[in-house]
Amino acid sequence: MQHSREALIQAYRQMKTIRAFEERLHDDIALGEIAGFTHLYAGQEACAVGVCEHLGPADYIISTHRGHGHCIAKGCDVVGMMKEIYGSSDGLCKGKGGSMHIADINKGMLGANGIVGAGAPIAVGAGITAKSTGNVSIAFSGDGACNQGTTFEAMNMAVVLKLPVIFVFENNHYSEHTGESYAVGAESMTVRSAAFGMKAIKANGIDFFSVYDAMRELIDYCKAGNGPASIELDTERFYGHFEGDPQRYRGKGELDRLREERDCLKVFRTKVTEAKLLEGKDIDAIDTEVEALIERAVAESKAAPRPTAAHVLEDVYISY
Amino acid sequence: MAKKMIRDVIRDTIDEEMARDDSVIMLGEDIVGGMGSAGGPEAIGGIWGTSGGLWAKYGSDRVIDTPISESAIIGAAAGASLTGKRAIAEIMFADFIGVCMDQIWNQVAKFRYMFGGKSKCPIVIRMPYGAGYNAAPQHSQSIHAMVTAMPGLKVVMPTTAADTKGLLTQAIRDDDPVIFLEHKALYGLKGEVPDGEYLIPFGHARQVTQGDDVTILATGMMVGFAEKAAAQLAQDGIGCDLLDLRTTSPLDEEAIMDSVERTGRLLIVDEAPPRCSFATDLSALVANKAFASLKAPIEMVTGPHSPVPFARELESAYVPSPDKIVAAAVKAMSYRRG
Amino acid sequence: MANLRAFAMPKWGIEMTEGVVAEWMVKEGVPFKKGDIIALIETDKITNEVEAEADGMFPKLVAETGGTYQVGELIAVLAGADETPSADEVSAFVSGFKPADTAVASKAGGSTPPPPAAPKAEPAPEPVKKVSIAADANISPAARALAEEKGVDISGITGSGEGGRITFQDVLQASLPPVSIGGSPVDIAPVGETLGEVFASPLAKRLAVQHGVALSSLTGTGPKGRICKADVLAKVKPEPVAQAATPAPASAAAPMAFARPAPGTAEIVKMSSMRKAIARALSHSKSTIPHFYLRSKVRIDAILGLRAQAKAATGEAPSINDYIVRACGLALARHPDVNVQVHGNEIHRFGSADISVAVATDKGLITPIVKGADTLSVAAISREVKALVEKARTGKLQPEEFQGGSFSISNLGMFGIDQFDAIINPPQGAILAVGAGVRQPIEIGNALAFATIVELSLSCDHRAIDGAVGAEFMRTLKGLIEEPKLLVG
Repeated sequence: MQHSREALIQAYRQMKTIRAFEERLHDDIALGEIAGFTHLYAGQEACAVGVCEHLGPADYIISTHRGHGHCIAKGCDVVGMMKEIYGSSDGLCKGKGGSMHIADINKGMLGANGIVGAGAPIAVGAGITAKSTGNVSIAFSGDGACNQGTTFEAMNMAVVLKLPVIFVFENNHYSEHTGESYAVGAESMTVRSAAFGMKAIKANGIDFFSVYDAMRELIDYCKAGNGPASIELDTERFYGHFEGDPQRYRGKGELDRLREERDCLKVFRTKVTEAKLLEGKDIDAIDTEVEALIERAVAESKAAPRPTAAHVLEDVYISY
Repeated sequence: MAKKMIRDVIRDTIDEEMARDDSVIMLGEDIVGGMGSAGGPEAIGGIWGTSGGLWAKYGSDRVIDTPISESAIIGAAAGASLTGKRAIAEIMFADFIGVCMDQIWNQVAKFRYMFGGKSKCPIVIRMPYGAGYNAAPQHSQSIHAMVTAMPGLKVVMPTTAADTKGLLTQAIRDDDPVIFLEHKALYGLKGEVPDGEYLIPFGHARQVTQGDDVTILATGMMVGFAEKAAAQLAQDGIGCDLLDLRTTSPLDEEAIMDSVERTGRLLIVDEAPPRCSFATDLSALVANKAFASLKAPIEMVTGPHSPVPFARELESAYVPSPDKIVAAAVKAMSYRRG
Repeated sequence: MANLRAFAMPKWGIEMTEGVVAEWMVKEGVPFKKGDIIALIETDKITNEVEAEADGMFPKLVAETGGTYQVGELIAVLAGADETPSADEVSAFVSGFKPADTAVASKAGGSTPPPPAAPKAEPAPEPVKKVSIAADANISPAARALAEEKGVDISGITGSGEGGRITFQDVLQASLPPVSIGGSPVDIAPVGETLGEVFASPLAKRLAVQHGVALSSLTGTGPKGRICKADVLAKVKPEPVAQAATPAPASAAAPMAFARPAPGTAEIVKMSSMRKAIARALSHSKSTIPHFYLRSKVRIDAILGLRAQAKAATGEAPSINDYIVRACGLALARHPDVNVQVHGNEIHRFGSADISVAVATDKGLITPIVKGADTLSVAAISREVKALVEKARTGKLQPEEFQGGSFSISNLGMFGIDQFDAIINPPQGAILAVGAGVRQPIEIGNALAFATIVELSLSCDHRAIDGAVGAEFMRTLKGLIEEPKLLVG
């Protein structure tokens, strides 16, 4: 598939933004700057961006507890996200949600979600709306959520109601601390999805172009009124389940090997420079620009206003 | 002004709101009924008769018959409501809340708060509830306490035909999530229903009887039982101030306090078991805020700390009766102040 | 041998030292029944009817009619109704009688028919029964201690605690006498379902019905714009005049049934002793006291408004008369020259406004006293008047509750009397006569408006009170009634 130079720059900028965002969080969390549980998306950038580069604001996604990448890819304000994770009242969710609940309904981002497997049924509902407007709804899940009954219910219902919902399973091979080969009983997520009666394909989750092309096919398929579809993306998680996870389940040298051989940003850079679509300095310029953005986001977050006790009761209801 | 059964009021109200607003949709098991069967769509029209004819009128995109998948029903209704629809989800029996609790409790109730007030989820979750049908432990429960305990949800328990229309219309138009609890034993109850648009604001108790001796707080089927008890007590010279709370969240605390401060005695009637219940919640509220007005200990008539049993004798022993309400009122009146 | 007892001069009120036996209403040796009037005894303040406390008979009337006797002095010898004591027995009793210390004479047991409301002695507490409670009884420690202390038998108690455990409250309840509940059927006023109802709290609705306020005309200031109590009260209109000016004792005006004498004949009715006492006192007053009258019209709309608010807020409303008593109390405090009694050549000026309020009872007029009306709130006056009226009706008024006083108020508004002049209640210096509230047009600026007007007439004893003094008092009174902010609070 042909990509314009602008499209490639945009795709790389998104992936790089996610990577830089997560790496900075990794450092700041270690320094004690940030409270709570944070699950980093680094390593899976090609998945989020390869899916979301097809989508507009009237297309919906719902995310997982590992949701920063989906948020950035769907267009959430990076500074607002950083402020949220820092717990500022100026954050995207006023400090009420934090890392696991970043949402921006106007951007079609229906929220990261702290409950594994909760997103798929909600994506079915967004699919009802999307069907009425000619759009699509995406449920991001991992190899953990794929085993939840809610996901099964949602896949079946989407098939029954012929909804334009795409179930995107990012297989990073670990559901929390348990290997995919143990927890997924079926031969694969793809086989299982197909058994629900939907179109189910696989793509390479560390290759933006593989994800992007596969998604083009599925979105066209769904918009044509064929009902839902599923895609399994083979990808990697560069950090632990949560920040602070000692990752004793990893093999010796596993992370080093993954970062060396299966880094989606490196894969992208190699592909576009070898094909002479972009030059190395184009990419370096984006890196510099993104690092500055993240630096600004952190500086603004540290200076941002803090919520007070008076905010606790706000937004429980619209009116009560 | 027409006289209708509550089940028809529900269908007609949904019909009116669907006709008025294209964004209103409905989801649930068998709400069309007969899909994929030899009998064809609308062979059933909802097992409670609360959705007959709607599918034919509004089609499959708006009257959505679902598989038996409560989590997906609520999740789908939630997702649709987050993205611009007003979804009415039916959970066939309130007892089934157990299989969709996450969607109600962690998702629907919390969206707006978690998302910093930048979303709305105008969903109505209708749940038939309550004992009286010998439907045994998993199809007879009153679950209002647990949903009332959840910040972010509003909880409505209509008891008359007119209230059903006013409260359901309000629920559908309300921008917050609403749990709409319909007592199964009241579906056949008939009453006058106003024509045209009719809304009752939430948090607004209905005064059923006025009296000066005992305040009775009740919800659902217990309102009618308490009304019978009040009539009997009046014959014995005891005047009951009976409030049908109508919504348990928000709660009409003002009406409760006004009444208790006047009568000095409180009797709470609740179909659910007694522990950590709506009755104990009201009791704590009054003990805390109206202690000085109380002339006698607060009385509670509730189900026992047991599941709702099956056999007729057992179920009728379980459900609070007008006789038990009378006895409790007499007990409150008989309290000796030293 | 007959059981003879002394009938001594009673002591009514703190100050009574002696009394005049105005009239014996029974004859020596003739039995009387409990409740019969046996004597009229006058003090310097009142003439009192003495009722028999029990069936009995006076074998000897010691006191002479018109004679003055010290409190505690023997005035008759009392025997049982069916006894026939000998003359010797009686004279021995008389010669052997020693008056008790007068200070306590009125408490000297059965020898004196005391005023009817003598407080009942508390029955002596029954000795605490020893109870034994088994060591393994299912009872809380505090409940066990209480049961032992009060001697409560726990075998009859059904414990309300977990597993039937007996609680402190259970024992306390068992130790107390049962209360009576219920009675005649009450109207629980089933509230019809109002369709298309207004968003108002139940209390607001109740008040709206009570006061005829249209809820639809109100803007709610309660939570979420709900109409609350305050919104309704702000709109409450004064009550209709006919009720407004009706003071508490109105029910006494119920017509008494009597047989009409045949045409051309007159039925001869003997004056009751109370009638006689009234006749005596008022004849004396009207014929010896130089009365003059000061009349004034006052608007009571402000009081009607206050009263309606009080009624809405508390469910009970003071009567218009209660407000007038309060206003007179304050006016008397400012004009001590009106707050007087006249005793011969002395004028007694009082520091406290003790106002006699004329009350019609089925036995005649009685004037219980609201003491310190200048220091009591309207609500307190209202309670006090109600209590006094109740006592007057049931004959339980203590002498000190109707004797004395420094001023009187007589209100005939409830009979629809527009205006009248009253006779001074001696030895007081003045009495205020209060007519009915009448709604009438008045001129305000160049416009006509309607106001509720009451006509007042102050009768003054010119020996003590001059016209200007009385007029100043009336000006103050009018101001207080028409702008009654000072009356409340």
